[in-house]
Amino acid sequence: MTISSFFIFIPSILLGILTIHLVWPERHPLTLLLKLSLGVGLGLGISSILYFLILQVAPGRISIMGIQIILATILLISTAIRERNQKWNGVYLPRLSGLQWGLACTALIAFVISTLIFANIIISRPQGEYDAWSIWNRAARFIYRDPENWQATLSPDIAALGHADYPLLVPLNVAWGWETLGGETLKVPMAQSALFTFAIILLMFSSLAVTRTIGQASLASVVLMASSGFILNGTNLTADIPLMFFIFASVVLMYLFSLNRNSTLLVLSGFMAGLAGWTKNEGLLFMAISPIAVIIVSPKKMSLPFLYYLAGMAIPLAIILYFKSMTPPNDLINSGNSLIEKVKDVSRYWVILKSLSTVILDAHVIVFTIYTVIMQSHPNHSSKQGIYTVATLLILQLLGYYAIYVITPNDLAWQLVTTQNRLIMHIIPPGLFLCFNIAADPETIFS
Amino acid sequence: MLANIKKSLVVLLLLINVFFVGQDWVASTNIADRGAYALDCWEAQMALVRDSLPIKRGVVGYISEQDVPGAEYGLWDIETEFFLTQYALAPLIVKKGIVAEWNVVVLSNKDLAIWAKTYTGQYKIIDVEGKVHVLHRLEAP
Repeated sequence: MTISSFFIFIPSILLGILTIHLVWPERHPLTLLLKLSLGVGLGLGISSILYFLILQVAPGRISIMGIQIILATILLISTAIRERNQKWNGVYLPRLSGLQWGLACTALIAFVISTLIFANIIISRPQGEYDAWSIWNRAARFIYRDPENWQATLSPDIAALGHADYPLLVPLNVAWGWETLGGETLKVPMAQSALFTFAIILLMFSSLAVTRTIGQASLASVVLMASSGFILNGTNLTADIPLMFFIFASVVLMYLFSLNRNSTLLVLSGFMAGLAGWTKNEGLLFMAISPIAVIIVSPKKMSLPFLYYLAGMAIPLAIILYFKSMTPPNDLINSGNSLIEKVKDVSRYWVILKSLSTVILDAHVIVFTIYTVIMQSHPNHSSKQGIYTVATLLILQLLGYYAIYVITPNDLAWQLVTTQNRLIMHIIPPGLFLCFNIAADPETIFS
Repeated sequence: MLANIKKSLVVLLLLINVFFVGQDWVASTNIADRGAYALDCWEAQMALVRDSLPIKRGVVGYISEQDVPGAEYGLWDIETEFFLTQYALAPLIVKKGIVAEWNVVVLSNKDLAIWAKTYTGQYKIIDVEGKVHVLHRLEAP
């Protein structure tokens, strides 16, 4: 069952990789690695949307796996036809120096150990943490066990902490996984979580290998794997790691757009941002703030990039709007008049600032910030623009979280204690990506 | 001088983080059960409840120590059991209180006896296992 739980996701991943390769036909081996990591999340996002559409027209009567295989085959044939006429002569694997081999091997060993850590932790708690079964797998069971009546998972009768209004990317993938395997097994949510967790590591490595060097990419990957709570978060089986992936993927694609002005990257970035919103409500915040970053990335001619970005976001946004028209209102919207009182209450701002600073200003972050400042390099103009864009996105996301804490209708202390660590965790990969794009790479330092 | 500091910093960053990965590995090799067994037991009990319920869709009520005057309980335990019940009984919607024709009761026999005094003759109690029971309303409210 473990192996087949991974196998069922292969058509989805293939769908994601081939879609990216078709719209962005760059052939450098490191770019192909980047497409592989982006394709994992994109494919799982597309599959969840496909399954959601099936639930609207013919729940339980159309095989999602069959559709994915047909689509993946069509894309495979299209890719084969196009690649047949292309020249791959100039494409070669980069030759690595001794230093690069050393760093890459260290990253690889850390990666292997991380997979073992993941396995050890997940075995000790196969159902995941509290939210995994009370929210995400609970929703997956509603959909899988009664697909014709799947909307019961959105019922206002479901207890408030069951969060009937939460988006469905994660539960839908679990539900169609069970449907394909013909039974409920915890291996499916485990496999999905493992795919997203290790795709983030691969995305960190491949994106920095493309924008900087292999040495820098290896160093960043090791730092990410060592980040406290990252692997543990993956074993929680909640939607935080998938959300982290989509935010990071959107940020990386926007950064790449700042470097080479390929509009396709902006469309993909918008799509990834949309999938973030389809994963978790915090992703909706990212969808709202990320278009502002397009202004930073393209300050002079912003209208066309803006349109490309919104075009990428359009499909997930339409799905989210349709979905939200069926769900009970979120508890934040329910807070009514007390919302204004909360905004006026200055003491709340201070409590939030104090609490968040304990997470943001921990020893790891301080040491790493000092490292980045000492190691800073001198980026060119387009890199600088990319760096400003990523920094803007991170600051806006943090400010957005801050604003949500201000207006939360729940007990503020409880809300902070139960959520602040994972909210900050969402922006750790793009934060590291930013720092390692600012810092000088090991190759330059040891040359 | 600065070049040497930078070199040292790269090495230090790598070593510290490799150490953290190793530390996580050691910590992960000896993790005790973190509630998985208790969750499995609850699921098994709720599977019996599911079998004894004649409905497969709709709302079922949920009664716990919270509904019994004077009963002692831990709030977090009660909430966890409630959400575990919802998880196990999906796609049935579990709602707190005696709100439906069919209701799940999680009460010890002593607390159940106290609670039942208020509703004598209105409900049929079906024992499932341990402190888990099913309650069927006999008359329209």
